[in-house]
Amino acid sequence: MKKTHIILIVIIAVAIAAIVGSISDSSTYADFDEAFSNVGEEYHVVGKLNRDRPTIYNPKKNADKFVFYMLDNNGIERQVDLMKSKPQDFERSEQIVLIGKAVDDKFVARDILMKCPSKYEDGTPQGVNPENIPKA
Amino acid sequence: MDINYVGEHLWAGTLGNLLVILSFIAALFALVSYYKASTTSDSSWRPLGRLGFRLHSLATIMIFGLLLFMLANHYFEYHFIWQHTSNDMPMKFLMSSFWEGQEGSFLLWSFGHIALGNMLIWTAGKWENKVMTVFSSVQVFMSSMLLGVFILEHRIGSNPFTSLLRDHPDFARLPLFNSATYLEFLDGRGLNPLLQNYWMIIHPPTVLIGYSFALTPFAFAIAGLWKKDYHGWIKPALPWTYAGIGVLGVGVLMGGAWAYEALSFGGFWAWDPVENASLVPWLIWVGGAHLMLINKNKGTSLVATFSLICLTFILVLYSTFLTRSGVLGETSVHAFSDLGMSGQLLLYLFAYLIMSIALIAYRWKDFPKTKDDEALWSREFWIFVGALILTISAFQIAFSTSIPVINKVFGSNLAPPADPVAHYNSWQIPFGIVLLVLIGFTMHLKFKKTDFKKFLKSISLALALALILTLGIGYALQLGNIYYLLMLFTSQFAVLANADYLIRVLKGKSQKAGSTIAHIGFGTIMLGALISMSASEVISTNTSGVDVEQLGDEYSNNENILLMENDTLPMGEYHVVYRGREKEGIYIRFLVDYYLKEGNTYNKSFTLTPFVQLNERMGNVPEPDTKHFLINDVFTHVTYATLEIEKPSDKEDYKEIEKDFYTQGDTIFASNAILVLEKIYRGISDTTIEMTEKDIAITARIRAIDFNTKSHFISPVFVLKEASYIEPIEALNDQLGLKILFDKIDTETGKVQLTVSETKVAKKDFVILKAIKFPFINVLWLGCIIMMIGTALAVYTRVIANRRS
Repeated sequence: MKKTHIILIVIIAVAIAAIVGSISDSSTYADFDEAFSNVGEEYHVVGKLNRDRPTIYNPKKNADKFVFYMLDNNGIERQVDLMKSKPQDFERSEQIVLIGKAVDDKFVARDILMKCPSKYEDGTPQGVNPENIPKA
Repeated sequence: MDINYVGEHLWAGTLGNLLVILSFIAALFALVSYYKASTTSDSSWRPLGRLGFRLHSLATIMIFGLLLFMLANHYFEYHFIWQHTSNDMPMKFLMSSFWEGQEGSFLLWSFGHIALGNMLIWTAGKWENKVMTVFSSVQVFMSSMLLGVFILEHRIGSNPFTSLLRDHPDFARLPLFNSATYLEFLDGRGLNPLLQNYWMIIHPPTVLIGYSFALTPFAFAIAGLWKKDYHGWIKPALPWTYAGIGVLGVGVLMGGAWAYEALSFGGFWAWDPVENASLVPWLIWVGGAHLMLINKNKGTSLVATFSLICLTFILVLYSTFLTRSGVLGETSVHAFSDLGMSGQLLLYLFAYLIMSIALIAYRWKDFPKTKDDEALWSREFWIFVGALILTISAFQIAFSTSIPVINKVFGSNLAPPADPVAHYNSWQIPFGIVLLVLIGFTMHLKFKKTDFKKFLKSISLALALALILTLGIGYALQLGNIYYLLMLFTSQFAVLANADYLIRVLKGKSQKAGSTIAHIGFGTIMLGALISMSASEVISTNTSGVDVEQLGDEYSNNENILLMENDTLPMGEYHVVYRGREKEGIYIRFLVDYYLKEGNTYNKSFTLTPFVQLNERMGNVPEPDTKHFLINDVFTHVTYATLEIEKPSDKEDYKEIEKDFYTQGDTIFASNAILVLEKIYRGISDTTIEMTEKDIAITARIRAIDFNTKSHFISPVFVLKEASYIEPIEALNDQLGLKILFDKIDTETGKVQLTVSETKVAKKDFVILKAIKFPFINVLWLGCIIMMIGTALAVYTRVIANRRS
C-alpha cells in the first residue's frame, strides 16, 4: 500500500469522525413539553413572547437575568429565565429561539436568537411628509 | 383611470432593460463563438468570441454604472432603488446599498469575472479559446440572474430595473399611487443599519471579487482536462490563483475585523455561518494551490489537484447559495432574504459540479500514473498531506455550517451546535496545530528526496527557539490548556522555521520569498488569534459580590455590569465611569470614561463611546467601541440601555451619603466626585457671613475632584457663636449636586465630623456594560499584513517568471 493511501484512509476516518462529532454536538429543536420531560437536557425551543405577561428586568439586582413568558409553537406557556442582559429591541421580536434547559418549572436559557419583523423583509412603500425629506 | 405621473425617470428602466438583454445575448454569443473556436480549426470564431465577450462586458458595466447613478439620485420609482436607499442615507454607503440587493451582489461578482476575462483575452494565448468558453458559460448564467423573465411560470432572474408601480401588482393599488406626484412623498426603505458601517463598505465587495478570481483556476483546469494538457495549464493559472487567494483571504479577514469592531459578541472569529461560508472555499483553494505546485514540480497528484480546484469554484457557488437563499435563517448575524433565485443558483451549482466530476472521471484513465511511492522525506509528500488536512478542515466547517441545509434535504430536525465556538474550535484547533507543524518544516524539505539528518539539523534551531518562547509566554499568560500550549508552540515554530529559511537558505532573495513570507504571516495570525482570544479577560465582572444568581448556576454569567450615571466601578486595572449620553441624529452615544489610579489620584486614560443606532423600521443596532493600544485593546459594549431619556425631577432633594469623622488628607467618595479634606483652618474666607469678634470660625476646605479631574472647592464652616452655641454653615456645590455640613469637632483627636449629602435624582440613567481586554491583538493584524505582502510577492514572482519563459 502506498503511503498516500494510508493517509487517505486516515483522512476519511477523520471525516467520518467529524460528521459524527457534529451531529452529537448539535442539539435538537424541541417544544416545551419535550424539554420539561427531560429536565436538565439542553434544547433549542422556538416560540413567541407572550405579550400579555410582563417582562422582568432588574439590572440593579442582576444585570444578567431577564425573565419573560414564552409560548412555544404548541401554545404552551412557560416562564423563561434568560441568563443574559435583556436583549435590545426585545419587544419587537416576532419569533424567539431559546437555547437552554428546563430547571424545575422554569426554562433557563443561556442564549437567545430573535427574529424581528421587517428587518430583512419587504415592507410596502409609504408616503412621507415631503417636508421631512432632507434636501440632497 | 390613467394617471400621468410626474417626475418619473422611465428612460432609466428602458435603458436598463435593454442592457440586461444585450448583456445576456452577448454572453450567449461569446459562449457559442468561443466553443466553436475551441472545437473547430476555423480561426474566424475567436474574434467573434472576443467581440461577444467585450460587448457583454460593456453592457454589464453600463448596467453597473446606471444602477449606481439611479441609487445616487434616489429614483424611488424603481423597486431596487426604493428597497435599498433612502433620502437620509449618507453617500458613503452607496456601494453598500448596491450590493445589499442580491442583484447588486451578482453584478459585482460578474464585474470581477469580466475584468479577469478581459485580461485573459489579452494574456492567455493558446489557452484563450477554452478558458474563455468556460468564462462565457459562467457569464451566461450570471447575466440570466438579472433577466427577470417568466418561462413556463418560472421566473428566471431578478431584474433590478422593475418599477415599483408597474411591475409590482401588490403595490400598484396602494393609495399612494393615486397621486400623480407620488414621488414627492416617497422615501426609500433604506439600508439595513447593520450594514451602515465602514467595514461593510469594503468587506463584502472584497469577498465577492475574491470569489470572481476562483473562476480563473477553474476555467484553466477545465481547459486542461478538455485539451488533455494536464500540466500546461498550471503555469498560466498560478498567478491568478495566488492573487485570488490573497484577495479572498483579505476579504475573510475583513469579516473578522468587522465582527471585532462592530459586532457585539466581542471577538474576532465566532464561526458565524456566513463567515464560514467564505472561509471554506478559501481553505480548499489554498489546498488546491499547493497541489498545483506539486504538479508543476513533479507532475503527480493530478486527480487531487483537479478535484480541489474545481471544488473551490463549486464551493464559491455553494457559499453564495448558503448566504443568499435565506436557508441559514436564524443561525447567522447576516442572513439575507430569498429573492427566489435559489433554484437557479442550485441549477448553476449542479451543472458545474456534474461537468467537473464527469470530465475528471472521463479523463481518469488518461492521467499519467506513477508507480513509485512518494519518498517520505520529500516536500511534495508533506505538501500533499497539508492539502488533505486543509480539505478535511474545510469539510468539517462546511458540514456543521450546512446543518440547516441537511434539515431541509432530509427533513431532519437538527439544531446547530449550541455553542458554536467550542464546537468548531474542538476540531479546528487540532487541524491548525498539525498544519502549523507542516508549514514549519516542509519548507526545509527538498522536492523528491531529502537527507533526513540535514533536515533535522536545519529545523533544530527553530524548534529550540519555539520551545523556549512557548515555555516563557505560556507561563506568563498562565495557559493551562494543552491545545493552547501546542498551538502556541506550533505557531511560533511555523514563524521561526520560515524566518530561518528566509534568512539562511534564501538569504533574503525574493525569488522564492513570497510563499515563505506568506507562511510567516499565517503563523503570526494564528499566534495573535490564540493569545488575544485565550488570554482575553472580561473586566466588567460583578465585583460587588451580591446577587450572583443561584438558579441555573452553570449558566449564570457575570459578564455584564450595571453602571449608574456618574458612578465609578473598578474594572480590571481601570476605574470606569458612565458619564451620560449624547444624542446626535439617529445615534445615541454613551460616554464611558476609563481612569487609571496612580497613588491617590485618578487620571483619565481614555473615553469610549459605544452607541446605539436608532432605526424605527429595521430595529436599533448597538455598536461597541474599542480603545486600541499597542499591546492590548479595551472593548466596551452597551448590552442594554433604556433608550428613552427620562428627565431628572426638578426638586432638589438631598440624600445623606456619608457622616463620619475625618482628619486632614482623608478621602470621601461621592457618586460623581472624589472629595479630599485638604485643610482645616481657623478663620473664614467667605466675607458674606457676619461674624463678631467673639465668634470662632473653623473652615474645612474640601477639594472635590470630578471625573474630568477638575477641582472644585467646597468649604463648610463650623462656627462657635460667642463661645456658647454652634452654628454650622453648610456649603453647596450645585454642579456636583453636593451639600456638606461641618457639624462637630472631636476635641480629643482633632477630627471633624462632616455630613455629605447628594441630590437625589428621581431616576438616574444607567447602562449595562460589557468590557473585555484583548491582549496582543495587534499580533493578529500584523500577521494579516505579512501574509498579504507574502502573497503579493508570490504573485509578482510568478508573473515575472511566466513572462520570461
